[in-house]
Amino acid sequence: MIRLGIDTGGTFTDLLRLDENGMKVHKVRSTPDDPSRAIFTGIQELAGNAEWTELIHGSTVATNALLERKGARVALITTRGFEDVLEIGRQTRAELYNFMVKARRPLIPHGLIFGINERLGADGSVLEPLAESEVAQLIEALRTQTIDSVAVCLLHSYANPIHEDHLTKALEEAGFTVSSSHKVLREYREFERWSTTVVNAYVTPLMARYLEKLEDGMRGKSLKIMQSNGGSISAHRAKTAAVQTILSGPAAGVVGAQAIGNASGYSRLITFDMGGTSTDVSLINGAIGTTIESTVGDFPVRLPVLDIHTVGAGGGSIAYIDSGGSLRVGPRSAGADPGPACYGKGTELTVTDANLLLGRLDPDYFLGGRMSLDLPRARSIAKELAGRLDLSPIALAEGVVRIANSNMEAAIRVVSVRRGHDPRDFALLAFGGAGGLHACDIADSLDIATVLVPEHSGVLSALGMLLADATKDYSLTILKPAAAVTEEDLRARFKPLTERALNDLLAEGFAEKDIAIECSLDMRYKGQAYEITLPFAPGYEADFSRRHEQLYGYANPTRATEIVQLRIKAIGRTDKPTMPKAHADRLDLPAPSSIRSTHFGRRPIQTPVYHRELLSLGMQGNGPALVVSGQSTTIIPPHYSFAIDGVGTLIAARLEPRKISRKLKANNAS
Amino acid sequence: MRLDPIEFEIFKNLFVSIAEEMGVTLCRTGFSPNIKERLDYSCAIYDASGQTIAQGDHLPVHLGAMPLSVRAAIDHVAMEPGDTVILNDPFRGGTHLPDITLVSPIFLKKTGPPAFFVANRAHHSDVGGMSPGSMPLAREIFQEGLIIPPIKLIKRGVIDNELMSFILANVRTPDEREGDITAQIASNRVGESRLREIAAKYTYKRVAHYAAATQNYAERVLRRTITDIPDGNYSFEDFLDNDGFSPDPVFIRVAIRINGDSAEVDFTGSDLQTSGGVNANLAITLSATLYAFRCLVTEDVLYNSGISRPIHVIAPPGTVVNALHPSAVAGGNVEASQRITDVVLGALSKALPQIIPAASQGTMNNVTLGGVFPPNDPRAGTAFAYYETAGGGMGGRNGLPGINGVHIHMSNTRNTPVEALEHHLPVRIRTYTLRQGSGGAGQFPGGEGLIREYEVLTHTSATILTERRVGRPYGAQGGEPGAAGRNSILRANGSVEPLPSKARIELNPGDRLRIETPGGGGYGPPSQAAPK
Repeated sequence: MIRLGIDTGGTFTDLLRLDENGMKVHKVRSTPDDPSRAIFTGIQELAGNAEWTELIHGSTVATNALLERKGARVALITTRGFEDVLEIGRQTRAELYNFMVKARRPLIPHGLIFGINERLGADGSVLEPLAESEVAQLIEALRTQTIDSVAVCLLHSYANPIHEDHLTKALEEAGFTVSSSHKVLREYREFERWSTTVVNAYVTPLMARYLEKLEDGMRGKSLKIMQSNGGSISAHRAKTAAVQTILSGPAAGVVGAQAIGNASGYSRLITFDMGGTSTDVSLINGAIGTTIESTVGDFPVRLPVLDIHTVGAGGGSIAYIDSGGSLRVGPRSAGADPGPACYGKGTELTVTDANLLLGRLDPDYFLGGRMSLDLPRARSIAKELAGRLDLSPIALAEGVVRIANSNMEAAIRVVSVRRGHDPRDFALLAFGGAGGLHACDIADSLDIATVLVPEHSGVLSALGMLLADATKDYSLTILKPAAAVTEEDLRARFKPLTERALNDLLAEGFAEKDIAIECSLDMRYKGQAYEITLPFAPGYEADFSRRHEQLYGYANPTRATEIVQLRIKAIGRTDKPTMPKAHADRLDLPAPSSIRSTHFGRRPIQTPVYHRELLSLGMQGNGPALVVSGQSTTIIPPHYSFAIDGVGTLIAARLEPRKISRKLKANNAS
Repeated sequence: MRLDPIEFEIFKNLFVSIAEEMGVTLCRTGFSPNIKERLDYSCAIYDASGQTIAQGDHLPVHLGAMPLSVRAAIDHVAMEPGDTVILNDPFRGGTHLPDITLVSPIFLKKTGPPAFFVANRAHHSDVGGMSPGSMPLAREIFQEGLIIPPIKLIKRGVIDNELMSFILANVRTPDEREGDITAQIASNRVGESRLREIAAKYTYKRVAHYAAATQNYAERVLRRTITDIPDGNYSFEDFLDNDGFSPDPVFIRVAIRINGDSAEVDFTGSDLQTSGGVNANLAITLSATLYAFRCLVTEDVLYNSGISRPIHVIAPPGTVVNALHPSAVAGGNVEASQRITDVVLGALSKALPQIIPAASQGTMNNVTLGGVFPPNDPRAGTAFAYYETAGGGMGGRNGLPGINGVHIHMSNTRNTPVEALEHHLPVRIRTYTLRQGSGGAGQFPGGEGLIREYEVLTHTSATILTERRVGRPYGAQGGEPGAAGRNSILRANGSVEPLPSKARIELNPGDRLRIETPGGGGYGPPSQAAPK
């Protein structure tokens, strides 16, 4: 049986084929005008005439539609008197000290928001019924407009969907495609629920057309779509709930990274994906964390997504001196065009240039020799900037790297320390074009002992897709004092949700034995406005106190708690490939391909360079070393050892971490 | 010690991240909607002399005010390790009574003075006084709520439960207050442990060295910015509608003298403090002035005491911009602060006509509601107190129209979702929309105000403290002013009663309070507006 994982990126489409003989990787150039072309070309090249059975696909169609404002023409129906909720948002401006702060770019065209008379109370009671005559008038009004879909967003529909259901049915019968807010997200807080719903209405028509086209070319084979929560859904479902795919690209990468890390024997990981313009970090504590607080293209999307923190800093981040005379790195980026100075066009110094000046990149073997770097150009730009700070160009380059690292360190603190985790308990798994260049330095400053750099970091997303289980999330706002409901009551309230979840997965072809259903609660102290999600199990109230203490440093078991939302995650387990074993017999390193003078701190050291493809499983040695591959370079500082394990992952381990960290502190203090 | 530009940048980011981490803790663990949903708080770290090292990007109105809290704690309390000082007294380090500030010293050595301080301030939704929500129409501070001078809430690591129960006995919603204060304690603890951590890692000497460098840096950035303003004397005046008692407008006047890289901001000539609650104390006047200047800095720069060094503020004691004890000040923080910003920007507009926008709504539209849950509610018999503010029109900018329905200048607090509000209170929101046509015309028109209509389900006392119901937000460079706001009651029997800017009213079930917020002024002549 052959399964394919395919990740469409901006530049390349990564394909991964999995069968009894293992995994095979392929890469083709993306075709942004019609992403399916690259997919079919790639499949042809990778699988030829072999009979494959299933394709799991991660697409940026929905994401790009939203970010580039190229989505559907959506009409919005709201409770009368609340037509502007989406524009008002939370009444805040995005920047405090900027007169030219921008307004949110609207998703609904002018004149396509319609109020309708109806009203529910907070308890779901009907205060004002929905009049049939108004529904008919509304449908007439919509018929005079050119629209692709309709978002139905009424107040308190999470408590009672009666009016939304009624309106949705009428609109669907009239031939409209409808996103109804309680179906997209059955939770209170109107702006966030409506925003999520409107985003769904905005991206779904485009996604549906794209998937239909893809299915046409697949002749009845199974197509699954990656979601932002790290699981997949059937293409059929994605055609009505495309909002769930909006952050799927990074999510798949983290799922793939987890599998690779686990295969090497590490279940607690901080993933660190550093690219040219941005860096994604996430924390895996046995399981990957999720969050419901994401914002995409100015609008909140309040669905569970993998908790990935993105910062606008990467190899292309530009170093400059600000008006107070401080050296800054980013957030401005040289991007792909002009790119870093050493690519030949850029005129400003970037992090990549700094790495080159420090001898950490080989100008003649960049991207496996496919591109050469202009060292003199980078040097002359660095010299000018360094002169203004009264530094040597090398000291400047070293500083640029340190500042970039400190920005990355701050990003890692967000996902670890701020969530109540100590980074020292984790291994750092680095990927992306620049991950390996910075990982060991960052591990040093966070006192992390082990760094993992997977072999094919470019295809982690495609791997994640192949490994992803089918998952569906359901939620329901109940807003009850915990003291007023028993565990039995909750079980009863979960029941219809679990039945629906089970049926949905059975309908997707999963056998009952492959289905798992996880129930959790969003709880808070009465009066708080943020909730903590925890598993629904006996003793959930005590669990809440423990988790509150862990996250925020205090708990008060005598204070009344509330149960705000019920959540269900339904998982349909897919077949997993057998991952290789971590163990490999020990081998010595080959002779280095070359020796380069590389700066660690301010001292240049003669450093051996190894080509990653020439390192066999089990080979090990000590730093300093540069391990270069077709995609990236990994720096092994002098106080690290490294090995290629049985999975093919490079494992760098700090020698005597305690001693080193004291030494580092002493260095820092000098 | 030499200043290493690399280390400097790293330390600068570290300082900011500590203030931000304190804010995250406070926000996530706070109890009242003011903190959780509306983000009405600020956190900062201070050096040994009480000067700000870094303040989180929280609330502009707290900018210049927070260091005065730390100063008051130093001056009035003999602090020891493990202590935390609490205060809200506007005349000893506070701004208005609902803003409660906690200051904690950090001692790194067994003897000697503290090496750092951390502090945070949060707006509590009730601190007692004559009206639920503690934003009353008062004639003197004693009516506005419980006054807490700088005193120790935590002594050597132990919370003073007697003091706590004294505070809680004086407020309408003690449970919520206790939760919020606990969150404030947690926030300071986070700041303290991070500062200890970096002092252990880098040595105190180094941290202090870079803290001072960070202040010098902010000062340099601001001096550079002021240098770009043409030298000269620029004045402006505008007024508050009234003080809630007398119908007379209250004028605020400023003369800004730019001289090279420094500025003198002189409020001499502003009206005397009034007998109503719109007075600002000096802390607020400083905050508003610093905010206006900070907005001129185009780079994102951290906020600390260095920013205030090039700016000399003259605010004669006993005037509405430097009110003295025992004047009422509840509205100074929220209303006078906006007008002070308007006059400072109005004056700067004469020097920088291309940069300064038209006036924004110039008010926070404060509404407080209080009463007792009705018999048909599961919470029957318990009291509720609720406070919120409303956005309005932003002024037009050179190149962009003003944003609609948004908080501006001194405030950036979030709204409470209608669905959350109706769940927590015996209130129904009947309308929450943009107020079309309220933005001033211009080449770049002002933003639209908002309409928010509250229907009460039980007998409710409401206090409204609003501005720009008489005066209108000014236009700039030929743009027209925004529409004045409007307040009214729609009685259950169908009658409509107009309300003034400030009022305390009693509402019966079915009555609606309707707040229409001002539009922003337009920028540039309307004749040059792009066709729609």
